[in-house]
Amino acid sequence: MLITGIKSRPVYDELTPMASGLNHLAAAQGSGGKPLVRLLGAMTPEQLAATTVLYSTESFTAQNYLFDLQQFRVRELAVFATNADAVRGLDASLATAKMGTRLYLSGSEGFIGTSMQVATSYGMNRDEVLREHAGSFVRRVWCAHCGHYSENVTHRVFVCPGCELNLIVRDHYSGRLAAFQGVKADSEVPGEMPENEELDT
Amino acid sequence: MSESQHGALRLRVKRIEAVTPEINRYTFGAADGSWLPPFSGGSHITVLIQADGDTRRNAYSLMSSPYDTSEYQIAVRRVDDGKRGSLAMHNNIREGDVLLAGIPANLFPVSKHARHHLFIAGGVGVTPVFAQLEELSLKGSSFELHLAVRGAEHAALGHELKERYGERVTLYGHDGQSRLNTMDVLAGRPLGTHAYVCGPTRMIDDVVGSAHALGWSDSNIHFERFEDLGSTGDPFSVTLARSGAVIEVSPEQSLLEAVEEAGHKLPYLCRGGACGECETEVLELDGTIDHRDDWLSESDRATCKLIMPCVSRATCTKLVINA
Repeated sequence: MLITGIKSRPVYDELTPMASGLNHLAAAQGSGGKPLVRLLGAMTPEQLAATTVLYSTESFTAQNYLFDLQQFRVRELAVFATNADAVRGLDASLATAKMGTRLYLSGSEGFIGTSMQVATSYGMNRDEVLREHAGSFVRRVWCAHCGHYSENVTHRVFVCPGCELNLIVRDHYSGRLAAFQGVKADSEVPGEMPENEELDT
Repeated sequence: MSESQHGALRLRVKRIEAVTPEINRYTFGAADGSWLPPFSGGSHITVLIQADGDTRRNAYSLMSSPYDTSEYQIAVRRVDDGKRGSLAMHNNIREGDVLLAGIPANLFPVSKHARHHLFIAGGVGVTPVFAQLEELSLKGSSFELHLAVRGAEHAALGHELKERYGERVTLYGHDGQSRLNTMDVLAGRPLGTHAYVCGPTRMIDDVVGSAHALGWSDSNIHFERFEDLGSTGDPFSVTLARSGAVIEVSPEQSLLEAVEEAGHKLPYLCRGGACGECETEVLELDGTIDHRDDWLSESDRATCKLIMPCVSRATCTKLVINA
């Protein structure tokens, strides 16, 4: 469970079946497979038959729950090699989904955040979506200077692959961008770098 | 902008039109000829009506364009029983008269994030929808209206909207045959659809029930009850803790109206148990509270520590409220 003092960071839920829904979409990545296995285990046979699972085997911590997920009799299990592909798959599923759909997301903050951007673009509300954080606390960082998104950032100071500036990762999470903000680390005094540290991983 | 008097607007009746056998449409301008406060689609005003020597405060949805603050329009359905406010509007108010009204408040706004807006209305419940559709139409949003009426002579407002918005408006009951089936209307809708219902309690319950059966979550279901505003029932008495005043609430008036009649003030906005503005603490109670609002939670109701004076009553030998 991710608990930090960062007020802008989303408060995550625990995945449990939303009984009021008639159609269920469950998307997870890497370690997020574990909460998904728990969720599917709590579902009735009818709910499982109305559930599509999207799973990305890309994982920062090399966790793979595909075998466990394959044990459930769901409507469909779609497997993706990368998180970006899984998010595109989610987009395609939501494009034809009807009212009455419930969405379950689990995995890294970056995966949940980018999936949530897609869900929001289809007008899904907070009472139609549950999100559970799983695995590493690596951050997705948006560069305030060139707009590049860096995945899996673990340290306070890093070099932006987009513009090669030294960035410092601020403890501010943007739900809209689904990323923490990175700004030039030595903007006050050029060359004077702040102390680097491992982020809350 | 029009000067308010003790927080009330002075409205001059510019036009009165009979749009159905039971519904009159009133067009108001500011009595001093200036501009009226702006409002958003779904807003209502509380009109002060003199009836049988008492002042009725009836809430009416604004149906004119939210983009034109030179005028407000409301529609008033004549209700022959009940509290006679609407009867006084129909029988006593003439063009040129000046009425007092509160500034607009909105308890029924359109969602800012919806991908499609689906309106379901019955009879005079269509009034807020007039302003909501005008707002959405100018914004270029996607919408449709399903309107049920009781027969051809009640369909004039529906035909007006049909003329404005064409295919996006479907009428039911105007031909004596077609019937609105809420399951059919709500089924198979894409994600991000928001439903709005305004009409009789039976219609609201039907739409909410159908939407839940189809798996809709509550944040996509919006409704406004226009019936049952006000409160009638057995008489009871209430003590205002701060002044010690003991006030008798008659069968024909609400607790709020009785308190106002006695010259005391309570906060209020919707006067229909929806907005929560008049929520008041119960300090002492011998008996039970008859909760009639849509505001308090089940647990709040059970503890009987709070009451909504605009609609709720009590069956009690003693009631002291923190007012």
